[in-house]
Amino acid sequence: MAAVTEVPPPLAPTAPEKAPRKRGRWTPYWLLLPGILWLVVFFALPLVYQASTSVQTGSLEDGYKVTWHFATYWDALSEYWPQFVRSVLYAAAATVLCLLLGYPLAYLIAFRAGRWRNLIMILVIAPFFTSFLIRTLAWKTILADGGPVVGTLNALHVLDITNWLGWTSGDRVLATPLAVVCGLTYNFLPFMILPLYTSLERIDGRLHEAAGDLYAKPFTTFRKVTFPLSTPGVVSGTLLTFIPAAGDYVNADLLGSTDTRMVGNVIQTQFLRVLDYPTAAALSFILMAAILIMVTFYIRRSGTEDLV
Amino acid sequence: MAFVRWLKRHLVVIAGLLTLGYLLLPNVIVTVFSFNKPKGRFNYQWQRFSTDAWKDPCGVADMCGSLSISLQIAVWATIGATVLGTMIAFALVRYRFRARGAVSSLIFLPMAMPEVVMAASLLTLFLNMGAQLGFWTILIAHIMFCLSFVVTAVKARVMSMDPRLEQAAQDLYAGPVQTFLRVTLPIAAPGIAAGALLAFALSFDDFIITNFNAGSTVTFPMFVWGSAQRGTPVQINVIGTAMFALAVLFVLVSMAIGNRRNRQKA
Amino acid sequence: MTTDNSGDVRLSGISKTYGSFTAVHPLDLTVPQGSFFALLGASGCGKTTTLRMIAGLEEPTAGTVHLGDQDVTHLPPYKRPVNTVFQSYALFPHLDIFENVAFGLRRRGVKSVKKQVDEMLDLVQLGEQARKKPHQLSGGQQQRVAVARALINHPKVLLLDEPLGALDLKLRRQMQLELKRIQTEVGITFVHVTHDQEEAMTMADTVAVMNGGRVEQLGSPTDLYENPRTTFVANFLGSSNFIEAEVDSRSGEEIMLKAGGGKLSLPKARCSAPTTAGGKMLVGVRPEKISLTHADDAGEIPEGRNRITGKIANASFIGVSTQYVIDSAVCPEFAVYVQNVERDSRLVPGADVVLHWSPAHTFGLDAAQDIDAGIETVEEEAA
Repeated sequence: MAAVTEVPPPLAPTAPEKAPRKRGRWTPYWLLLPGILWLVVFFALPLVYQASTSVQTGSLEDGYKVTWHFATYWDALSEYWPQFVRSVLYAAAATVLCLLLGYPLAYLIAFRAGRWRNLIMILVIAPFFTSFLIRTLAWKTILADGGPVVGTLNALHVLDITNWLGWTSGDRVLATPLAVVCGLTYNFLPFMILPLYTSLERIDGRLHEAAGDLYAKPFTTFRKVTFPLSTPGVVSGTLLTFIPAAGDYVNADLLGSTDTRMVGNVIQTQFLRVLDYPTAAALSFILMAAILIMVTFYIRRSGTEDLV
Repeated sequence: MAFVRWLKRHLVVIAGLLTLGYLLLPNVIVTVFSFNKPKGRFNYQWQRFSTDAWKDPCGVADMCGSLSISLQIAVWATIGATVLGTMIAFALVRYRFRARGAVSSLIFLPMAMPEVVMAASLLTLFLNMGAQLGFWTILIAHIMFCLSFVVTAVKARVMSMDPRLEQAAQDLYAGPVQTFLRVTLPIAAPGIAAGALLAFALSFDDFIITNFNAGSTVTFPMFVWGSAQRGTPVQINVIGTAMFALAVLFVLVSMAIGNRRNRQKA
Repeated sequence: MTTDNSGDVRLSGISKTYGSFTAVHPLDLTVPQGSFFALLGASGCGKTTTLRMIAGLEEPTAGTVHLGDQDVTHLPPYKRPVNTVFQSYALFPHLDIFENVAFGLRRRGVKSVKKQVDEMLDLVQLGEQARKKPHQLSGGQQQRVAVARALINHPKVLLLDEPLGALDLKLRRQMQLELKRIQTEVGITFVHVTHDQEEAMTMADTVAVMNGGRVEQLGSPTDLYENPRTTFVANFLGSSNFIEAEVDSRSGEEIMLKAGGGKLSLPKARCSAPTTAGGKMLVGVRPEKISLTHADDAGEIPEGRNRITGKIANASFIGVSTQYVIDSAVCPEFAVYVQNVERDSRLVPGADVVLHWSPAHTFGLDAAQDIDAGIETVEEEAA
């Protein structure tokens, strides 16, 4: 050993510590306290308030009282069921489209992009930094009446088919269900691509070779090996797309018309314009319950529990 | 025949690139239309090239003010959510305690809840408490919904950390505080940074929850929303383009620095 | 020699239980200052838990840990004058090699660390790599950093937790010699945990073989190998043949035994079982101690050697030796290793042979134990 070294100060105290160490039994609770308190007060408690509001009656002038008036739920459902159905249909259509469009891109990034991988990833994420409202407004330009997109669709007689299906009307795409679904798909596509990519990227490339070696054609390899292994990504991707899409009202408002109003639009109007709080609260509660039930059912069926 | 074979081989690539085009098309439009000189109040139709808006980005009443409010809220929400979320993540990964399942559900639920539901219920709470809607209610709401995302990001990183690293630090004369500052925190830093970045982006871009709880305060997304009704100034596109460019530039520069550092070390 | 005993490690009645599971049964152990001590055993035998209790990373359920005269049982790890080389090294990924090595000194408030760190890195031949990050080094280099990071603090005791487990075989042999060299050079107490019996035997002065949370036997490597006291030790360190025998008579320091039809003899000093006449006993002998003679030449075997007859069931040539499996009446699969000096071409499968060995190479064990203890675990670890 070296001769000239700085001598460290003596280490252990002469008297050993008598009390055995307690491994901070309360530490986790102190760590959790502020954040959990925040969530309880500003997330859970509001849901309770909302539940209570939904069974109140009264008016803005005279104030509201809890009267266990469950009829509000029935009234809300019977009046706004078309918007509910529309929300589910649009969100489902957008989710399916996101999966169909997002899978090839996620696959491309995971397996075929090579040195372009990082660049493509950046291009997928970067649009986030432009406000989504600005980007949604851009669709007004893209789908404008008489614009090149509508013109092309018209020339290819695609619009005839979509008109027949009721997705568009006349020579217009804007202010139709197609435009809303298109906007929803666009807005939530990255939420599909990122989880898909994460689970695809974990797949060992040699599995493809092994499948090929065992006489699987490329498409069979995909069907029997790649896709099953990417189910965790598919499940969390569809949830991350469907849930916000079902509650969205921005796309329906900016790209749609009064005929494409979704439940989000109704809640927003009731709450911020009509000021009918009980109805709004009941609608919001039904939406939450419906989504939670669907999500639970879906997670059970797909057998993936570790989403977080 | 050769073409068909080529098409078959590259079908995935073509489909993927088409999707990428679909994702980027609006940004192209936003950029192009930031150089437009529209007739009338709306900037949806191409008229002629002009750099007027770029020369005077704050030329629209209230827009830059709303931008500044959004930035302030995003910064504070990021700090708040990152601190609280990191603490929760550490508690979840490092300790065994009662009510773990309940805590995990409470973290997960805000992410599985449509924004409009959270927005409406929070407004109910504020109305019941008689709170003054504005900057503070927006900040409270943003910290609330960013929190879960920070927890998820930090948790992933802390979970992949070798507990032996902290034991090694203790073995090498670092007390609990020193161990945390010198070893745990630096190693968890990428996860915390990712969580913070996500929180910033979520907060800055949030519209639905903000719209419910803002009162008369106008954030940048709310300004854009309002202008969609009243008339869209070209400056909105200028801001959108600038943010996109800055984000790409930021990532490219940090990647270049990372690459250089690795190459120097190797 | 000095009478300094500050590097002694003394464990008194130390034990560790997790709920209903006992990882370490009450254990007394003294590791003298300056020795190279190995804790050897299969995974889950309690060796790592014992080490971690010395390091302060686990608190013992009962008992005390002394370093020299100081009771350190309740001291946290950062207040103990011991350092650990962790399994898979636990190098700080965010710090470069220099800062990794300087970490302990800096935490103890040493300001000028450069000279010491440079010297230490030279000792482990890593002076050139000081500014690299751990992930840029090879496994062997990382291992040396881990050793340097611990040694620079001049600990009273250096604890090594499977330090070579992540290295390939060739590098492991090289690092064994390297560690042994460093230990001789710095002269501090090393406590080394390993599941590799060869590693323990090459490096350590004293080996404690652990099994099921207990120390089965403690001694020098030769002592453990030549005179194992349990079937576990006999099987875990190398391999052994066992014959079930019955005590026939005692004459002075010699015990005579009956096995099948034949007679065997065994020095009393090499017997750890009760020797009452008529009692059962396991007689063990290492495969390389045995000579093999074709049955036709049986007359040439000198008097006084233990002998058994059998038939060659299998022979495999492995270069330096040939390994035979012999089918005999007293033991169905008797292993014999014969050096390839003068090969007898008659020794092929099917041949009748006589196995014979010196009584001094025989050991006697209590018959009330599992003959195969310690065998399976070895294979598991090797896989």
